Amino acid sequence: MKEFILLFRSTPSDGPQLTPEQLKDVSKPWQDWIGSIAAQNKLANIGARLGFEGATVKADDVVTDGPYAEIKEILLGYIVVKTDTLEEAIELSKGCPALSMGGNVEVRSIVQMNS
Amino acid sequence: MNEFVMLFRNAPTGDARPSPEVMQEFAKKWDTWLAGISGQGKFIGGSRLSFEGRILKPGNIVTDGPYAEVKEILGGLISVKAGSLDEAFEMAYGCPILLLGGYVEVRPVMSSNN
Repeated sequence: MKEFILLFRSTPSDGPQLTPEQLKDVSKPWQDWIGSIAAQNKLANIGARLGFEGATVKADDVVTDGPYAEIKEILLGYIVVKTDTLEEAIELSKGCPALSMGGNVEVRSIVQMNS
Repeated sequence: MNEFVMLFRNAPTGDARPSPEVMQEFAKKWDTWLAGISGQGKFIGGSRLSFEGRILKPGNIVTDGPYAEVKEILGGLISVKAGSLDEAFEMAYGCPILLLGGYVEVRPVMSSNN
């Protein structure tokens, strides 16, 4: 089995904050989708859901606030899955809720740290 | 302590690959920088990403390679714990990706219960 990271990207939105009910509606499809991967025993790492707050350090220690200044797309979060092939990892990505929000999933293979 | 992710981004280099000597030199710089963070007990984990990859878009459209439409490619990420964004941010200074013209994006991790 190899490990692949699934990166969830979307366009930054600075729309209104969601109500707790709306948040629940947003979270449910994610829980269902990640649950289905875990049920196949292919979830290597639950990853992280990223907050919108953030900052960027560039060469010469130049700091910009917020991760959005110069990018079209923002990273919403990621999970790590284990499958035999890239194709299989892509199959798992279909059904990811980011896709129904106009976002996309980038699937990348992970390099072993000791190689 | 809160959890933060550091994302290491750089411009795609195309077919240009550094020599094994340069690669080794950079691997050493990464080891030193990471050891500085784990030495403070603040390293949680991370991944170095390979160049191979594909993107899935709405409507199940698949594009090859992670580079087709991005100016910058994600080379890897680590998770750290810190009391504040400022503290996590301080750790980013000295990251070797800065020497290659890349940059470090520091983002807080949301707990899955909120």
